[in-house]
Amino acid sequence: MKLQLSAELLAQIHAHGEAAYPEEGAGFLLGKADGESRTGTLILPANNSREDSARQNRYQITPQENLKAEELATARGLDVIGIFHSHPDHPNQPSDFDREWALPWYSYLITSVNKGKAVETRSWRLSDDRSKYSEEAIAIIESTKEN
Amino acid sequence: MATLRIPTPLRAYAGGASQLDIKSEKVSGALDELVKAHPELKPHLFQESGELRAFVNLFVNDENVRDLAGADTPLKSGDTLMILPSIAGGVDLQKVDHAALRTNQVFIIGLSLAAFILDAAWLAGFVGLAMLIGTLLKKPGFGFVYQGWLKPSGILKPDVIADNPEPHRFAQGFGAVVDLAGFALLLVGATGAGWALIWIVIFLAALNLFFGFCAGCAVYYWLNRLRVPGFVKAAPAGSFPGLRPKAS
Repeated sequence: MKLQLSAELLAQIHAHGEAAYPEEGAGFLLGKADGESRTGTLILPANNSREDSARQNRYQITPQENLKAEELATARGLDVIGIFHSHPDHPNQPSDFDREWALPWYSYLITSVNKGKAVETRSWRLSDDRSKYSEEAIAIIESTKEN
Repeated sequence: MATLRIPTPLRAYAGGASQLDIKSEKVSGALDELVKAHPELKPHLFQESGELRAFVNLFVNDENVRDLAGADTPLKSGDTLMILPSIAGGVDLQKVDHAALRTNQVFIIGLSLAAFILDAAWLAGFVGLAMLIGTLLKKPGFGFVYQGWLKPSGILKPDVIADNPEPHRFAQGFGAVVDLAGFALLLVGATGAGWALIWIVIFLAALNLFFGFCAGCAVYYWLNRLRVPGFVKAAPAGSFPGLRPKAS
């Protein structure tokens, strides 16, 4: 399992988590999947649809936004390959809640944002039996910017 | 014949298929056909109890079936049924044992009342000191009575709920400061003002013990809403700031 990202795209994900701080920020990662390896090429930030009081420890993206992401992916010849979200002032490991709501196959990128500064992003995949997450290595590659 | 579109993350459990032709004329029947054709999909769409998982949303031609007729929404030839997951996640709340908090409140109230009745300023000071030490150790000051005796002996059952510990710590710290200020006033002979402060602590602890309202936590959450640095936790979803969160 490997997720390839350009440094530029990772910087965009970090910037999104920092902008959302102290709330959780989230969005879609679009790209191409090829067997067990995949490459992210584009992010689509999403609105956090949770009520105000919960946004520091929850994010939720409506199915309508998911539909938009799928449509954008189709139009660009890509797939939605994962979801990124931030954990403000918390480690970048999936919580039990993350697991309950997770889908298999997607890459779940979690960025820990400490005191407003994005520290590190790790990527996780849900196991087939939904029991646990496994970490997926992130490889930084040359720019893959879509035109 | 309608078409069911399988979302990308679930295609691996459908032999790579991105769609399925549906004979059924209802959404519920379409799902039956899907899991019959691809049984490996079932655990990702349905809970063990047979209900649809919370994140599964079904759209017929871009309309959520929840706004139509739910599982009974009719499907006609040419319709597209899409499975669109809602995406959610986030950090879990920590666990707070409210039985330990209540034990602490009982001791604060009981010992402070005894101090007042016996006119024992030192006892009021002792309560304030216990709260201060507890705050520094990130524990309820009299929590050791619960941990060391009441819980192991089964006299009190744990009451662990998802909650933020920081506001409770802040509340206790605030109580410690007020209580010790009262003690200092008693020492310098300002008896009325001193006992008034200690009664404030008794009142707020009682409000928490008997009505589940933690005034210090409410202040913490208000400071959080005002984005005061250091007050990083917001009130748990669905609960009034300061009121005991519902067990879930």
